[in-house]
Amino acid sequence: MPSDRAESVKVSSDLAIQTSNMTKIFNGLVAVDGIDLNIKKGELFALLGPNGAGKTTTINMLCCLLKPTGGTATVMGYDINRQPFKIKEIIGVSPQETVISEHLNCWENLALIGKIHSIKAGELKIRSQQLLETMGLGDRAKDQARKFSGGMKRRLNIMMALIHKPEVLFLDEPTLGLDPQARRAIWEYIVRLKRETTILLTTHYMDEADFLADRIGIMDKGKIVALGTSTELKISVLEKHTMIIYAWNLTQRVISEMRSKYDEVEVTNGTMIITDKRLDFKEIVDLLHSSGAVVRSAYIKEPTLDDVFLHITGKELRE
Amino acid sequence: MRFLELASRNLKETYRDPLALGFLLAFPLLFMLLFGVVVGGEATPNFPIGIIDNDHTQVSQVFVNEALAEVDAFEVSTYDDATKAMKDLKFGDLKAYIVIPQGFGQQVIQSGQGDEANITLNITYDESDIMVSEQIISMINAVTRSFANIEIPITIDSNPIHIETEITYIDFIAPGIIIFGLLILIPTSARIMIHDKEKGMLSRLLTTPARPVDFISGYSLCLIAIAIVQIIIFIAAAWGFGMDIVGSLWLAFLIFFLAGLCSIGIGMVVASLTKTENQAEPLCWIFAMPLAILSGCWFSLEIMPSYIRNIAYAFPFAHAIDASRGVLIRGVGLEAISGDLLFLVGWAVGIFAIGVILFRRSMRS
Ligand SMILES: Nc1ncnc2c1ncn2[C@@H]1O[C@H](COP(=O)(O)OP(=O)(O)O)[C@@H](O)[C@H]1O
Ligand SMILES: [Mg+2]
Repeated sequence: MPSDRAESVKVSSDLAIQTSNMTKIFNGLVAVDGIDLNIKKGELFALLGPNGAGKTTTINMLCCLLKPTGGTATVMGYDINRQPFKIKEIIGVSPQETVISEHLNCWENLALIGKIHSIKAGELKIRSQQLLETMGLGDRAKDQARKFSGGMKRRLNIMMALIHKPEVLFLDEPTLGLDPQARRAIWEYIVRLKRETTILLTTHYMDEADFLADRIGIMDKGKIVALGTSTELKISVLEKHTMIIYAWNLTQRVISEMRSKYDEVEVTNGTMIITDKRLDFKEIVDLLHSSGAVVRSAYIKEPTLDDVFLHITGKELRE
Repeated sequence: MRFLELASRNLKETYRDPLALGFLLAFPLLFMLLFGVVVGGEATPNFPIGIIDNDHTQVSQVFVNEALAEVDAFEVSTYDDATKAMKDLKFGDLKAYIVIPQGFGQQVIQSGQGDEANITLNITYDESDIMVSEQIISMINAVTRSFANIEIPITIDSNPIHIETEITYIDFIAPGIIIFGLLILIPTSARIMIHDKEKGMLSRLLTTPARPVDFISGYSLCLIAIAIVQIIIFIAAAWGFGMDIVGSLWLAFLIFFLAGLCSIGIGMVVASLTKTENQAEPLCWIFAMPLAILSGCWFSLEIMPSYIRNIAYAFPFAHAIDASRGVLIRGVGLEAISGDLLFLVGWAVGIFAIGVILFRRSMRS
């Protein structure tokens, strides 16, 4: 398409990934709906969204596994439709589902990817050694991968994406299904990779995006619905504050009293959630007491990415 | 060499998986073993066969005494007329009886002189036991053919035709069983390839610079190694159970190897057309089982109607059985089986080409 060519001319040297109107439709189901992304070199960009938002499909198109139904994209200046093998040379991919060769040990799994990328044996060994140590698998390196725990397999999955020092790294839900401790370990490693490599990470954990990403694209139903740094996104919902109150004796009278004063008041099982542009902690507590409720505890909630998601899409980003 | 790396990975995945390895090696061995226990060695079946010689020539007497009587599996007794033989057949004392018609000797001599001849034997058999009866017919057929060949002085090819008068049951049936073992390479190949597809390994590797040809050669090399090991086990086991190897072992190996390639190719086609092991497995057996029956792995093709035989010979495996039987039992050489070999090579090349095209197409959607 001629319009595509016009887009690819625009590729400036500081962009690692650029998509324009990239779309994927599976038998009528729009999985990715015309997204435009500009990811800078050295940036860690997170796509945050619930299951089925289209994050994996986006990554798969950028890895040249899936052909877009419409639109185009470039990775380090190479066109995903026309130069897939150029792209495959320079990217590393850690798929959403752990994919390792179960009957190979760590060395062999790393060598499999390394040798396909034509890394010399000597360099491969040094590089594997480094990765095994930083990722804490050094002492299990000679064990077959099938004997590993979920967290260890996950780490190997990521190491296999890194063995050839890719210029662009795709991490599809890198901590999916891991316990908090294992997640922390992986986060710390990813933080160390920042700047050296451009990273596109997907996640449906808001704390993961919050902790790791330079910029976050919130994705829902195939679209990027919000984009910015974590702070920028939170500020966008700061126009509203939320206070959560646990109290006894939340009678109908109390509730209607509060509703008359504040924009949104929700009550479930002794919990009252008040949302308004301006909230005064003491004023609310006093008001509740004077109308007969007994406040056990109360706090004003800091906005989270979850709130951002709720604010934009009207539904929860479920973990 | 990317494909070598992929092949070595595929092999490691296979031989380090005790279950997969067990299936690949123990299954054929077990199959042969069971088979050997049932039919091999001491347990050579003894089929009582009656003979009524209406020809009364020297040729027919030699045929009875030196060809038929020498078959280990036969216990030959002569009858004067068919009525008595029929009675014994009905009582189960005979499995079959052969009437040698008048003019048999004449026809054999005629054929020996290169003239048109019509050698017929009239065989009456107990068809209630189809396995046995058809083996008997096949064996009589084989014996008669090699007997008639002795008399042909103008044998054109330089390969001496082996005078096989000791065709045992296992000699006859082993090539078919080996081909059956190689037909099982269809599900084996499909399984190895589809497993990677289902578990996401193929997609994972497709994000690397490996090319379609690397994947295909990576799988093929691994499967060829498996096929070679299997063929060696099959031949060794058949030999262990008393199969005589009369002709060239290398030639027999070549035939089996080509049959193995065809199976691998079919497996690759199935793997390209399906997405999961659950889809691939039944599809493979839909290929393998009818092919085993059609190609004469267990039943001789000679008793089948001609249109079935035509279908059978459109596939490589009936050719492979014929050719390997010729080499192993009768000791024929390359020239005698060159037609079958060419057919096998053509099929192997064709099915691989289709496999490659389909595989490429299934790679990027
Ligand atoms: N190969 C496919 N065929 C059909 N539909 C698909 C396929 N892959 C993904 N989808 C659909 O596309 C949507 C987006 O999926 P996905 O990209 O996996 O989302 P996410 O990674 O954000 O969870 C989902 O509705 C999913 O069911
Ligand atoms: Mg996903």
